[in-house]
Amino acid sequence: MGAFEELVARHRDKIYARAFSMMRNEEAAVDLSQEAWVKGWQRLKQFQGEAGFATWMTRITINLCLDQLRRQKRHRSESLEAMDEESGGVERQMPVVMVNPTAGLERVELRQRIDQAMGQLSHEHRTVLVLHEFEEMEYKEIAKTMGCSIGTVMSRLFYARRKLAALLADLKKTDD
Amino acid sequence: MDHKNELKLQAALDGELSEAEAREVALWLARDQDAVLLQTELRNTRQALSGAQAPMMLPESREFFWSKIQREIAREEKPAAAEVKTSWFARWQRMLIPAGAIAALAIAVMVTIGPPAASSSADMAESSHNDAGAFTYHDYDAHATLVWLSYPAEDDLAEATPADTVQ
Repeated sequence: MGAFEELVARHRDKIYARAFSMMRNEEAAVDLSQEAWVKGWQRLKQFQGEAGFATWMTRITINLCLDQLRRQKRHRSESLEAMDEESGGVERQMPVVMVNPTAGLERVELRQRIDQAMGQLSHEHRTVLVLHEFEEMEYKEIAKTMGCSIGTVMSRLFYARRKLAALLADLKKTDD
Repeated sequence: MDHKNELKLQAALDGELSEAEAREVALWLARDQDAVLLQTELRNTRQALSGAQAPMMLPESREFFWSKIQREIAREEKPAAAEVKTSWFARWQRMLIPAGAIAALAIAVMVTIGPPAASSSADMAESSHNDAGAFTYHDYDAHATLVWLSYPAEDDLAEATPADTVQ
């Protein structure tokens, strides 16, 4: 147990950050990362070292967050925008962002803007961005993790990127 | 540009296309400026996101967070441990109940079948074929048939003339 405590101490911030990036709620992220550690302890025998321990724990965290988001979704109504996205309708209304909205930004400012823009995405779009851009998962793996088709992953990712570009452009306009 | 082609542009950027499909997209980009602008936007967004994860610290102290995890682990393991520590009597009970059931079943079977039946005359049959000088005995239990042949037939012996006998 002492060694496990050490692992928790070493990776707790990273696991919390992943939970927060998906849930966008501090309390939920703390609870889910705690639950992830308990599950990690229970499944320690299954960890065979194919991926790093942090990667393995991150996967547990992601799955717990997805379960929680699915439970929450049952109580939320689907917006027209969300339903339209997969047919490729909504993003056609967004003009292409010509100028790179993040060019010249300092790293700290860039992270803040990204964080602000990510907070305005829906859970599904944010999740697909987190899994693809931050966890570097392929389309097939994301589809399996999210329980949807590869086509849905591609559409969500496309919409999420276009929406993020538009939000970052708006933030740049506000600052300028 | 239809949605399918837009997704192909994205997939090319993400390295998710086959070589043939990637070449197709490259040829398309060489002649379609709108496609180039769209892919540039997608690329800029992707680049902005890479390495853009803001470091975060869990808003609880190390000791407090660990104590909650430890408590939860102990709570989850308690019912499992309680199942292991059963009483001596409970263990014997668990062995006796199935043994008793098997014994009761065996007695019921024996009562139903009854003692093995003794061989009855119905299981055996005798028949004689006096004309042939043969006597047949069937034992159905043993699945056997015995045939006695008398030679010469007893009747013939009784009627035999001195001329037929060896002197």
